[in-house]
Amino acid sequence: MRRLIVIASALLLLTLLGIAWQEAHRVKPVALTPTLTGKVEYCLSCHGDLAQISKSHPVQTFGCVICHGGEPLALDKNLAHSTLRGGANPSDFSVVQASCGGSNCHSGTPESYSDHIQRATTSIQATYAGAIAVMRYAYGAQSGKGALFGVNAVQDSASTSGITSLGAFDPAAETNPQLQLFGQNCLTCHLSAQPMQNGGRYDHFTGCAACHTPTQSTDLTSVNTRTATSVHELTTAISYTQCDTCHNRGNYDLRTMTFIPRTDQPTDRLHDYYQPIGQFTTCEVALDCIDCHTRTEAMGDGSLYGSKYDIQYIQCQTCHGTLTQLPQTKTLTDPNDLAFRLAGLNPVVNLQLGDTILVTSKGEPLWNTKVLPDGTYELVGKATGQIFTFKPVMGSGCQQDPNDQSSASCHKCHSVQR
Amino acid sequence: MRPSFVHHLHPPTIPARQARLRYTLAAGGLAVFLCLVLLVTGLLEMFYYIPTPDQAAASIQTLSFLVPYGGLVRNLHYWAAQFLVVVTVVHLLRVVFTGAYAAPRRFNYLLGIGLLVFAILLDFTGYVLRWDEGVRWALVAGTNLAKSIPLAGNALYAMLVGGSEPGPATLIRFYAWHIFGLTLLAGTLLVWHLFRIRRDGGIAVPPPAKRETQERITRYELVRREVAAMLLASVALLILSAFAPAPLAEPITATASLSGTARAPWFFLWVQELLKLGSPFLWGVVVPLAVLTAVSLIPYAFPKPVEAELGRWFPKGNRLAQICIAALGLAILLLTVLALVPAQ
Repeated sequence: MRRLIVIASALLLLTLLGIAWQEAHRVKPVALTPTLTGKVEYCLSCHGDLAQISKSHPVQTFGCVICHGGEPLALDKNLAHSTLRGGANPSDFSVVQASCGGSNCHSGTPESYSDHIQRATTSIQATYAGAIAVMRYAYGAQSGKGALFGVNAVQDSASTSGITSLGAFDPAAETNPQLQLFGQNCLTCHLSAQPMQNGGRYDHFTGCAACHTPTQSTDLTSVNTRTATSVHELTTAISYTQCDTCHNRGNYDLRTMTFIPRTDQPTDRLHDYYQPIGQFTTCEVALDCIDCHTRTEAMGDGSLYGSKYDIQYIQCQTCHGTLTQLPQTKTLTDPNDLAFRLAGLNPVVNLQLGDTILVTSKGEPLWNTKVLPDGTYELVGKATGQIFTFKPVMGSGCQQDPNDQSSASCHKCHSVQR
Repeated sequence: MRPSFVHHLHPPTIPARQARLRYTLAAGGLAVFLCLVLLVTGLLEMFYYIPTPDQAAASIQTLSFLVPYGGLVRNLHYWAAQFLVVVTVVHLLRVVFTGAYAAPRRFNYLLGIGLLVFAILLDFTGYVLRWDEGVRWALVAGTNLAKSIPLAGNALYAMLVGGSEPGPATLIRFYAWHIFGLTLLAGTLLVWHLFRIRRDGGIAVPPPAKRETQERITRYELVRREVAAMLLASVALLILSAFAPAPLAEPITATASLSGTARAPWFFLWVQELLKLGSPFLWGVVVPLAVLTAVSLIPYAFPKPVEAELGRWFPKGNRLAQICIAALGLAILLLTVLALVPAQ
């Protein structure tokens, strides 16, 4: 018995040493008390090497939990992640209000220009209402082309478009098999859907991150090594490659209701930007999508629409004017002008009071443009920083038909060869 | 030689055959040791645990992850508690299978049953103190079972829960029961139980004339065996605590979640399985209490072994009692296993 006590004591000592070793090799807690919440969180204990997501969301101010959820005090992976909102993507529309919302954040009033969530969730990129309405009309499921359904059910009591709500489109409830196929094969390109293929040029997140998290590298010569899970970044400098994760990926066949992916493997911007079948001008290829398409075109204006043509309104004439009219401009005299706010978010230009910029027909400021003293115009690429100078149509040798301001008309002369 | 306090607590000598591990399985002694571990680790946990609904689970997270060796203390407490229930049941089975409950030990047997009940209640109240999603439905189901009792049910529920549904009052009451009420009562019973062992003549053994051998061991040898057992039990508890952390889920929030499987704690799985048969009062209250009563009545209802047969396993004299407890034990085990099998 005495010998057993000696052995047992030795075992106990060994066990205690082992436990001390285990304790010393545990994850060291790294505390962060963000100034916005005042509550300590320990996410950085494991995620300390993660890049800061953006200059507007510094981790010392926001921390991690305010956007992502999760258990701030837990150092066990499963417990810490058990209450994460939206998994790896808190901007998914199912949880975006809790993550990105709040009147001081991105679900404020239109007057304060902070109604992003309300606009994005009712935008046509999110609801897909136009495509759904046209499909249902074409296959006899509804008698008119008016939008009745969206990808998710949405309400808009303050709508100026006449549409105050959309039901949730359910392909399984449709009687026409073509509509069911449409739901399966085509409804993968909206802001709530997972991308059609894993990785590659289709890779994007859902929700706000679909556009604002750059999962696509702009270097076309090398394989894109960024995957949706490895990118922790929010940006307003959205390159065309991000838009192209849904747009310009291929064509569709309405009879078989299938999507036919494009098969070319372009290694330069000219051939990558749009599909080989189209004709486009230099600026449509050299600029990024967001250099022309405005914030209401991409994110909606808060009202529900049944067709993209109700919200998409940018034309060549917006910047170039017509034979009889110069493009609309605005001189910035109010320091609270939206143009300064937008320019502050993406500092490729140094906008000053007194600068004259171009504006759209709805009055939206094209803050990355400038009217130069000699009457020409300048545009700076929001994602590339490239500077482009251009002249107005008025006073030039342009042979346009003044009544046809569509881009197809300009393409007749100005399209690039590829 | 005048014995030290610890040696003095033990009888001068005890019969050698009944002092062997193969006879007692060290179950009773281990139960006492586990109680000591629980008292010490529980006291240490009290420095960090906060018994309010919004801070309970977070304070346990703080203890488990951010306090040096806090996780170890919590895990030791958890495993000691679960093993206490197991070891107490093993001890009960040993006592019945060796017929050691016979007079004059019948009252001490009842004290032991009481200790088993307190061990289970302490395990349950401790479980609820986590106040995480894992315990939410167990708490609702358990307290609703109290409500199902006719006449006294609503008053009993109000006493347990302190409101119309589980909330802050419930947590503080369970906390008071766990660290004070139940501990005090269980401690009293434990001391009494240990006293009665001495009063009833020590470990059950035939009278000297009918014994096979007169060999005995001294209190010093007995204490040495107990020390060895405690050291080995400590090693086992520490190794288990190092590799298998005590469970913890996300805190209970206002919105009821439907995540995961709603389950009773392991020692109540047999009751959960019984509840599938029908009336909650009948199957959740009456039947378990009937099982408890049946076990308590074993010394009184069944024939006992003859004196010469005491101090050994499976004496002929109380065969009926052995079969009865084995059947009950197997039934409870079977119900527990059934509850763990995923629903088809």
